[in-house]
Amino acid sequence: MAPAEPVPPVLDLDGVSVTVPRRPEPILRDVTLRLDRGEHLLVVGASGSGKSTLLQAITGVVPHSVLAELTGAVRVNGRPTVESTVVELSGHVGTLAQDPSSGICLPDVEQELALPLENHAVPAEQISGRIDDALASVGAGGLRSRRTDQLSGGEGQRVALAAALITGPELLLLDEPTSMLDPAGVTAVREAIDAAAAAYGPAVVLVEHRLDDYAGEAGVAGLPGRVIVLGDRGDVVAAGATAEVLTAHAARLHAAGCWLPLEAELRAVTGLAGGLAAPPVREALRGLSTPDGAPHEVRPAARSGGGQTVLAVEGLAVSRDAPDRGSRRARRRGVPVERGTQYLLQDVSFRLRTGEVTALLGSNGAGKTSLLLTLAGLVAPAGGTVTGARPGMVFQNPEHQFLAHRVRDEVGHGPADAPPGYVDGLLGRHRLSHLADQSPYRLSGGEKRRLSVAAMLAHERPVLLADEPTFGLDRRDALATTAALRSAAERRSVLFSTHDLRTVAAAADRVLVIADHTLIADGPALQVLRDRSVLGRAGLRLPPLLEWLLAEFDGDEQVRRVLHRLDTAVPAEAAPAGSAARTAGTAGAGAPDATATVSTTGDRS
Amino acid sequence: MSAPAVGRPAGAAAVGVLARRNPTVKLGLLFVVSLVLVFILDPVTPAVLYVLALIAVAASTRIAPRALALLHLPFAAFGLGVFLVNALSRPGEVLWSAGPLRITVEGLSVGASLALRTLVIGVLAIGFIASTDGVRLMHSLHQQARLGPRVTYAVLAGYRMLQEMPREWQTIRQAHAVRAPLRPDGTLPRGATALARASFALLVISVRKGERMAQSLESRGLGLSPRTTWRPVRLSAADWLMAAGVLAVLGAVLLVSAMLGHLEGIDALFG
Repeated sequence: MAPAEPVPPVLDLDGVSVTVPRRPEPILRDVTLRLDRGEHLLVVGASGSGKSTLLQAITGVVPHSVLAELTGAVRVNGRPTVESTVVELSGHVGTLAQDPSSGICLPDVEQELALPLENHAVPAEQISGRIDDALASVGAGGLRSRRTDQLSGGEGQRVALAAALITGPELLLLDEPTSMLDPAGVTAVREAIDAAAAAYGPAVVLVEHRLDDYAGEAGVAGLPGRVIVLGDRGDVVAAGATAEVLTAHAARLHAAGCWLPLEAELRAVTGLAGGLAAPPVREALRGLSTPDGAPHEVRPAARSGGGQTVLAVEGLAVSRDAPDRGSRRARRRGVPVERGTQYLLQDVSFRLRTGEVTALLGSNGAGKTSLLLTLAGLVAPAGGTVTGARPGMVFQNPEHQFLAHRVRDEVGHGPADAPPGYVDGLLGRHRLSHLADQSPYRLSGGEKRRLSVAAMLAHERPVLLADEPTFGLDRRDALATTAALRSAAERRSVLFSTHDLRTVAAAADRVLVIADHTLIADGPALQVLRDRSVLGRAGLRLPPLLEWLLAEFDGDEQVRRVLHRLDTAVPAEAAPAGSAARTAGTAGAGAPDATATVSTTGDRS
Repeated sequence: MSAPAVGRPAGAAAVGVLARRNPTVKLGLLFVVSLVLVFILDPVTPAVLYVLALIAVAASTRIAPRALALLHLPFAAFGLGVFLVNALSRPGEVLWSAGPLRITVEGLSVGASLALRTLVIGVLAIGFIASTDGVRLMHSLHQQARLGPRVTYAVLAGYRMLQEMPREWQTIRQAHAVRAPLRPDGTLPRGATALARASFALLVISVRKGERMAQSLESRGLGLSPRTTWRPVRLSAADWLMAAGVLAVLGAVLLVSAMLGHLEGIDALFG
């Protein structure tokens, strides 16, 4: 390269459109953008707006590995991607994907990090030092000698990040890097990304919808400085400085299912700037707490102790390695606990009543999933009893639970002798009617979740257990899921585990908290959330909004009313345009359906 | 629980003298000995080889006698089957007969030879698997046997998926079980249909994960050339010494056996 020549931008997209077979409308439409060395860009948009396709076009997966037609030009370091293979581009582009378990390919951390260096012919004597540097840059120096299958999600993502950066690419692509992590993992990976980006200095493209978690305490300032917003048609509907765009388009983004940083969300709802610290915003929130007489706006307080007990748990103990109930060993030996067994949980007693939504809280590894499996009868109790009719359970990953090859059959699997129209009714209530003949595996994340809930409800069990049902969903889908749980509780008892305290405050009547190997709290949701010692013991942290609301209002109804209005205010008024065309278009391609409108109040009634 | 049966778990270095030898050399020796055995059809030679192989494996790996015996079971069962079929069906000098059953001298001899051959290959395979780290084997095959990097790392990525599969399988089975009707005795169902459904779910999930892993491997630049190798699996003098030793013992046994008149080749089948 002659020194006089200007340095080409790291990334240059010029009128890029992407079309896939069996879908008449382009997924990505006329996208033009330019990223200079070291610049950071945020890409937001609803699910199905083409965010992932944009990243694939940059890595060269589109059009090299995926059957798709790309028009316009994508240039990385001035070189058109159509002329280089994905592997050739890998020297310039590092990628960190969502799922830690498939982002790591080799059994040992060291080998994982050595692989990119070996592939790029780095002299062997430099490799060890560069592995140390890369791990140090993501704050994971201690992981060097570990096996990759023993890493937590947050650790795995940091190792994958180190592997993406170790060859020093000019461009780093982050595809919802924290969406599958628990709060501790989010913080660790978030800090690792900042530190590693500072150490290696690549330009960064971040695709993310959970902006509130990703930004963390810093708010909008914790996000990349520039943003583009992709609309439902796959076009760029807004671009510019992040603070300005998020403010100007807050309502649209909110409606598209993004979790905005708090100040942008408050701006979208109240129209006022300044965030929670600003007195006018606080005044507006106080205004949201007063009743306006609208029916069904806030659900009635749970009948305390009024519902019928459907599951009674007495002195339950859960051990780490209890065998499956039904295995020969368990049946032969009865309760299979030897002396000295380390209990995961013990002395757990509570009752679940019809009409109640109960949230199960606890830090990672506290035993939430094991407790739910035990209640569902899938793992034998290590002590104590669980009495009541057999509960249903929705698993964290909906794909683990699918039994049929069509959505309709999936829902119809449960009821043996359902009255005519029963299945159609359930499909309709969970907005799955238009997908009835599709394969469950080809739905979007939110649709899969709705289907797994609907299919479990079809079994008509008196208790519904759900393991982190809103995990990894965008905001629209998360709200739809909690609404479905609420309406399910009208005739059942619902117990769901979660990390999201705002969801708990908005949707749960009651909270169970596990910590220190036992149940440490059982009471009305907001009462438990106000108890600092309980939160401290369980390692839970209130998000700033909830912290302020709980301090500001003594009445639970007021807190709930504000949260409810924040959740429903925006999506209800802004239904995305062109929904019919997109729904038809996605039917065959299995791409996510971005346009199902959310009506949380409707589901509740 | 059910650990994947691909050598030793990664990182957990196998112990014993044999574990320090080059995996490709071990695999090559296993192959050579097996090939030579194909041409031997008398019972005495493989019996001697079996005793020697058993002593060598027991001495050079830290495998417990009980585990060694248990691992013999599949080979012993197969060998017994081969022995019985040959003893009862091979034509030749009748030693004993009752009704339709008759046992021939040739049948006993060839059958015993084939059964002992199975045991020799079996005990060597046990020694190989017990002393070889799966990851080191792949790296060694890549370096010494010129296996391409794409194949090598695809197998290693598959190995990683295999590590996670038992956990995934258990979750799928539980997720399905919660939706299945209970059996009359109150336990969860475990029929063929249930297993087929769980297998399908595991297949779909694994194929997806495989695709994503393939993209990860590409994004790490796998397939570029030239490439370097960090920490090569070396061929040492001890590896050559082991190879020479094994081949010398094999040759010596064959020679002594021939001199004593025991050795018989393929023509034993037709004699």
